Amino acid sequence: MITFKATKRNLLKLVFLTSLMGTVPSFAHHSTTMFDHNKSVVLNGVVKEVQWTNPHVGIFVTGATQPNEEPAVWLMEMTSPGNLVRDGWKRTSIKAGDKVEVSFSPLRNGSKGGALKKITLIDTGESFTTNIRSAERANLE
Amino acid sequence: MIDCSLRRFQININLGLMLAMFFCSLFARAASVDKYDPPTLKDWTNIAALPDWSGSWNPKITDQDMQQKTNPPPWNARSAATIKFQYAEEAAGRPTPLFVNCLPEGMPSWMLISHNAMEILFTPGRVTLLGESDGNRIRRIYTDGRKHPDDPDPTLHGHSIGHWEGDTLVVDTVGIIPQSLLAVSEAEGVPSNGDMRVVERIHLQGPDILADDLEIFAPNVLTKPWKTTRLFFRQRAKKYDIVEGICLEGSYIPKIDKNGDAVYEQIQYDVGGNRTVTNK
Repeated sequence: MITFKATKRNLLKLVFLTSLMGTVPSFAHHSTTMFDHNKSVVLNGVVKEVQWTNPHVGIFVTGATQPNEEPAVWLMEMTSPGNLVRDGWKRTSIKAGDKVEVSFSPLRNGSKGGALKKITLIDTGESFTTNIRSAERANLE
Repeated sequence: MIDCSLRRFQININLGLMLAMFFCSLFARAASVDKYDPPTLKDWTNIAALPDWSGSWNPKITDQDMQQKTNPPPWNARSAATIKFQYAEEAAGRPTPLFVNCLPEGMPSWMLISHNAMEILFTPGRVTLLGESDGNRIRRIYTDGRKHPDDPDPTLHGHSIGHWEGDTLVVDTVGIIPQSLLAVSEAEGVPSNGDMRVVERIHLQGPDILADDLEIFAPNVLTKPWKTTRLFFRQRAKKYDIVEGICLEGSYIPKIDKNGDAVYEQIQYDVGGNRTVTNK
């Protein structure tokens, strides 16, 4: 779900964001080996936008992975909304404007994107993970 | 003489009645084969005697992963070469994009490799599987005693008929479109290339584990039929209800158009499948 108001400024932002997504695949039902699962990168920044949509939820974060790095927009990809709910997420768990720390497996091609592993809200310390294989049991509460 | 005529008259009447009943029964039988008779209270009561498959069911993905190594399909030489290439590609970080077009995974891949939940509904003469992906995938399994059509229209999920053997639903599926993939993961699979048949025995393996024992006959890609089992976990909590899963949603950006209306704008992709920068 995009949190988005119909202002010219936001429209320009969206166009800008879209242009940054140039090389980030956002396909349905794909294997995730375009991400390097042997690597873990930490990104600190502010959530620009949350797309709570099928087939893969996406979170755009403006931030840096190194202290002196110029902040940039990174696209964090996850599984489907239904699967995230079983991992304890809600549509409103992460919102635009939230300060976050994200650990993720980066795209192998060097683009600014990755498979989100854990996201922590700086203000509350609350965190969410995205391993669909971690909740393989019946009758989750 | 009078008695005799009367008797002959009675015989004629009786014969006439019998003939009428015979034709009526033929007609009634034809109606129940070709049309849906209104379900009776008994039809609904019979459903209560079926096993409890309520709730939503999540696939055991780690078992799908494991079976790639422990129970691979008996691929024929041509398919084996493709699968080997796909594994090498995936290991190199270039997963083959088998299911990226938002078409349903279809049969039997839905049962084999899905990462998404499903629910199962019983109604008189029918079992329906509803899945949480691709635009809400669906399988209709007819349990009303019908046969397959002589020449079914090929579809992604095929034509399924089923019957109950105790607490096991036995399903026979034919008429699967040749483009439907026989896949063991989201990056390894081949088109079934027609003539595929899938026989399933679906049953509870424990109170909250559903097992689908599949036997897949795919003569154009396998050297012999392949037997495998897929497992699903039950969730009873209502917060895990199946949600809408429209795959194509990911190909659009919600925006506000010049009239102030909330609309979708299609995302443009280049030939490599990446989002392009021309989406302005």
